[in-house]
Amino acid sequence: MLNDGEPVSRGGRLAGKRALVTGGRQGIGHGIAERFHAEGAQVAITGRGQRPDELPNHFQWYGSDVSDPGAVQALAAAFDGLDILVNNAGVQIEKTVLDTTDADWDRLMGANAKGVFLMCRAFIPKMSHGGSIINIGSISGTTADPGLALYNASKAFVHGLTRSIAVDHGPAVRCNAICPGWIMTGMADAAFAAGGSPEAAKADALARHPAGRFGEPADIAAMAAWLASDEAAFATGQLFTIDGGMTAASPLNPGLF
Amino acid sequence: MRLEGKTALVTGGRGGIGRAICERFEREGAKVFAADLSAGGSLERGEAPPSGFLRLDVTSEASVKAAFDRVAEESGALDILVNAAGVEIEKTIEDTSLDEWNQIFAVNVTGTFLVSKYALPLLRQSKAAGGASVINFGSYDGFIADPGLAAYCATKGAVHALTKAMACDHGPEGIRVNAICPGYVDTPMLQSFFEGEGSGGDGGTIESLQQAVRDVHPMRTYGTPEDMANLVNWLASDEARYAAGQLWVLDGGLSAQVQQMKL
Repeated sequence: MLNDGEPVSRGGRLAGKRALVTGGRQGIGHGIAERFHAEGAQVAITGRGQRPDELPNHFQWYGSDVSDPGAVQALAAAFDGLDILVNNAGVQIEKTVLDTTDADWDRLMGANAKGVFLMCRAFIPKMSHGGSIINIGSISGTTADPGLALYNASKAFVHGLTRSIAVDHGPAVRCNAICPGWIMTGMADAAFAAGGSPEAAKADALARHPAGRFGEPADIAAMAAWLASDEAAFATGQLFTIDGGMTAASPLNPGLF
Repeated sequence: MRLEGKTALVTGGRGGIGRAICERFEREGAKVFAADLSAGGSLERGEAPPSGFLRLDVTSEASVKAAFDRVAEESGALDILVNAAGVEIEKTIEDTSLDEWNQIFAVNVTGTFLVSKYALPLLRQSKAAGGASVINFGSYDGFIADPGLAAYCATKGAVHALTKAMACDHGPEGIRVNAICPGYVDTPMLQSFFEGEGSGGDGGTIESLQQAVRDVHPMRTYGTPEDMANLVNWLASDEARYAAGQLWVLDGGLSAQVQQMKL
């Protein structure tokens, strides 16, 4: 039942639109790219290195590093125009401020903050009226996840930049952020495995979700497809949280009352 | 047709935004109960009531019970509830009488409570793959205030908190609860607000006031009822099956910016 979000036809609400998804080879980015394709968009994906063998042929691939200004400039030169930009590429480093090295800062802020800035600066001029930028923020950009200091801060940056772009570049370009909660990707499995009792950790986390389950990339892709479409013509400058109700509840331990 | 086979009830269903939601739901294949005080609703166009019209006073427990008796009889289950009935009082608290205060809370807050309360047994019967969906109407005025709308702002803050509480309590039963928070939307309510401000303001015309409001939006326009229906439709559909407990601001970017000083 969880996979029934797959659209049935390619007719599509994004027919004729050109989309670019950074970090689209796996996880949330890949879910968004597949959904955009299913909705009729022409989808390009960026990632570091060579085109992955398993990447379906319907995607264009651009090997590029979003944190590298020269690479982003070269990437933008390959596009005549763009309708939808999804800034999804990001890294997570599980450290407090005290443990974080200068190299960690460069890697994390390079991708999550500078990368979003560089991509927006390069591609806003490529977008004509009706363009939609979708940044992947996080619930951690609004409330802190323990031991994820720079990650939390980088997502707060994304939220702030989202509002600025909406205010400065509307009405031609809309800009919104999606804030995923716990989405079942490799990142989440690693978090459960890190503690002493992965099963207990998972049960506790589930009890904190009114939806009774964790999210999937398709859940985020459903929101991204709406924000990318012309149906969202009045939506800009906002954070759209998709977390199964988790942040609507207080963070006290489940069953405390 | 993204709502095929679903049954929906929309309160304020004959008002500006509610009417657009009902029309959209019908186009998407849903069976729609358009619930309102009168068939004309706030528009009073004098047209024949639609087949799904349901007379409902959201402030009356008896009226709410009777409405859901009819939904139960005709449909047996409810998949989508939209609490769009709402009123506005354009006053500061000093000018607001206790009766006026009680009246706006009766519609905007108690109405949302009563209708949701009696909808729950039918929402639990929903077979929707993405869960049953309740969509309350908050407002961007529930986060930041417009001048001279004190009681209205307070009711919308209450709806926001109620939305989160309902999401926590009923999410585990397969019922998603969200609120949509419109900014300025072109409705009879907004026109009445402009007319009130235009006559009592600094001497500008209603047209110049409207243009000033448009200009302060990053999208350079205010919203339409159809813009609201677009998001309500998404939240009502199975696409939004993981969206719960959230306040969805749809305001053309208005609240993404700080006060726009005339510098």
